Amino acid sequence: MIKALKKAWLASVMTAGLVLPGAAMADTATAPSVIKIGTLYASTGNFAIASKGQYEGLEYWAKEVNADGGVFVKAFNKKIPVKIVAYDDQSSTSTATTLYNQLITQDHVDLLVADFGSVLTSVAVPLAAEHKMLLIDPTGSGANFFTQKTNYLADVSIPSSTVWPLPLAHFLLDQHIKRVAVIYDSNDFDASQAETLKETLVKGGVTPVYYHGVPTGETNYNVLLHTIAARRPEALIEFGYPPNDIAFLRTLSSSGLHFNMTFTIFPGQLMKMMEKTVGAKAMAYTYTYPTPPLVATTDTTYGPDTATFVKDYTAAKNEAPNFLNVAGFNTGLIMQDMLGQAPQFTQLSFHQALMDMSGKTKTLEGEFKINENGAQLGELFSVAQLIPSGDTNKIVVVYPEDKATGKPVYPAPKQ
Amino acid sequence: MALLEYAIIGGILYGIFFSLVAIGLNLIFGVMRIINLAHGQFVMLGGFGAYLVTSSLGLNPIFGVPLAVLGGIAIGYPLYYGVVPRLQRSRDPEMLSFILFFGVAQMIEAVMTLLFGVDERSLPGEALGSGNFGVLGQQFPDSWWVAVAVSLLCIGGLWLYFSRTRLGYATRAIIANREEALATGINVNRVSAIAFIIGLSLAGIAGVFVPYLVGSISPSDGSDLTTTSFAIIIIGSLGNPLGTVVGGLVFGVGTMLMQTFYPSWSNLVPYVLLVLIVLVRPSGLLGKAVRNA
Repeated sequence: MIKALKKAWLASVMTAGLVLPGAAMADTATAPSVIKIGTLYASTGNFAIASKGQYEGLEYWAKEVNADGGVFVKAFNKKIPVKIVAYDDQSSTSTATTLYNQLITQDHVDLLVADFGSVLTSVAVPLAAEHKMLLIDPTGSGANFFTQKTNYLADVSIPSSTVWPLPLAHFLLDQHIKRVAVIYDSNDFDASQAETLKETLVKGGVTPVYYHGVPTGETNYNVLLHTIAARRPEALIEFGYPPNDIAFLRTLSSSGLHFNMTFTIFPGQLMKMMEKTVGAKAMAYTYTYPTPPLVATTDTTYGPDTATFVKDYTAAKNEAPNFLNVAGFNTGLIMQDMLGQAPQFTQLSFHQALMDMSGKTKTLEGEFKINENGAQLGELFSVAQLIPSGDTNKIVVVYPEDKATGKPVYPAPKQ
Repeated sequence: MALLEYAIIGGILYGIFFSLVAIGLNLIFGVMRIINLAHGQFVMLGGFGAYLVTSSLGLNPIFGVPLAVLGGIAIGYPLYYGVVPRLQRSRDPEMLSFILFFGVAQMIEAVMTLLFGVDERSLPGEALGSGNFGVLGQQFPDSWWVAVAVSLLCIGGLWLYFSRTRLGYATRAIIANREEALATGINVNRVSAIAFIIGLSLAGIAGVFVPYLVGSISPSDGSDLTTTSFAIIIIGSLGNPLGTVVGGLVFGVGTMLMQTFYPSWSNLVPYVLLVLIVLVRPSGLLGKAVRNA
């Protein structure tokens, strides 16, 4: 891992040398002793599982770069250690608002990283803009964040949620599935995916037979599933957060109901945890978005490839990483590249560096590509199916065809 | 029509179970006039007890029920004598209990997070039956029926306790008027301690089945369970433990009907009902009218 990060650092230095040979650098005497990275995590509440994973990935990145002397900061032409300043928002947006404010105004952090997901990122977006601070947004992908041009927001480790379901919609149309039911949590992350899916399906001539939102805290799906079954859908798509997906899949498994196709988001991100909680059998033949490390990137231009990361992370933490660990680590990598390229130590310069990196950088999550609104348009997800393999399930990418590793089992057999 | 039937039957089952979830909170409030804001955390502890019973001992989660009773005694006895008599000597026990048990709730959640992490935990799906059982042609998972059967046993047991035992009479006397009960020679402290232990035990027993009805359990689930329980007991009747059943049924049927026809709004049900009840009938559906001199 150190080797990979050194490689990344060298790349930054070389880029710096190419872009600004002999350009005036900031005086090293003015360089801070540490780069303060402010972030939040949730130890409890709806987003705790995912938030913890993302935070652990970021912490791991910081530990690795500090072991190598810190990140190279082009503005000071030297390596500087990083320090993470983190507070617990307990999955509460009101607590998060106070704490983001504290990070900006009291701790005077150099870089601001949002907590996991759209809900906890939503309160940081206006605050960061108000304080003219670039918000590094690892996994807040809600469509509402990216409606206008901004210098103060960059979604770095997950595609904007509006583009997530595009491959899924095309897969449904390709399979000639005409009766589709969509149930989604009423939050920006899930609702924007549902909206995109519906829009794309309708354009393809398929109008969902059931399309309803449920509260984000919903965990009782028994009656909902029977209501949906009454519409006789061939495919049932559920967009939720991990607790919703767990409750949905467990209820479906015990309900005696069967659908030819079911889709949920988080098995593809938290496979191990979901299998432990839901049970491999209850997840068999479910479709999901496969994410790194379940799908690997080999040809990275910055940082380690997926296999190297998995090997090093597992050795360091004694457990294999999940997607959110990857997302947290990738956030660190993107910031590292950004600091290595930004000629000045200012928020606007950081943003410009990210824009310059867009379309030219490929990390273990895939192509980094943001638009002027801060939305991530790269790092796209495919569609995969969980196929039983012994006591567990294996991920088989089924769409798009150029990325497919197998054929879908459709209709799914009754378990 | 089938959907309506399914929603109503599902709502009754869900409501009966949630009566068990909430009844301990109402019992403790009725007897001691204190608000146990850590109630949901005790429900959560019951869920984790069942999780340990299955994951560490390899037993059926139903053995979590006696464990919940033992836990109720082990935690309830010292907690009662360490906290409640002091609270009741204060000028405003209701408000103080609110603050104190908020602290207890946060402590339980923090300790459980340290011990178990933030991940959701579930119980073996087939441990309470792998099939479905139907009434009027409407099928529900076996685990729901087991949860409802245990809920009815517990609620029935509490009714028998109130109506057939000397301790139960004494408990009702304290609920009716604490000072008068004290004046008639009832050992209020002892009876209250027993009610406190019963309240926590019932919460723990309900917790055993929470992973089956809501999918999983995690250390952070307690606050939501407290809020829902609070709404249910206000709908039924604050301070009248058996009124909780009415509150539970109204909550269950209301929630399921909303899930069927207006799912986005289903979470509003307990709170809309709560506001309506407070405005129209502040003593709850089963509460006695209050006469002001």
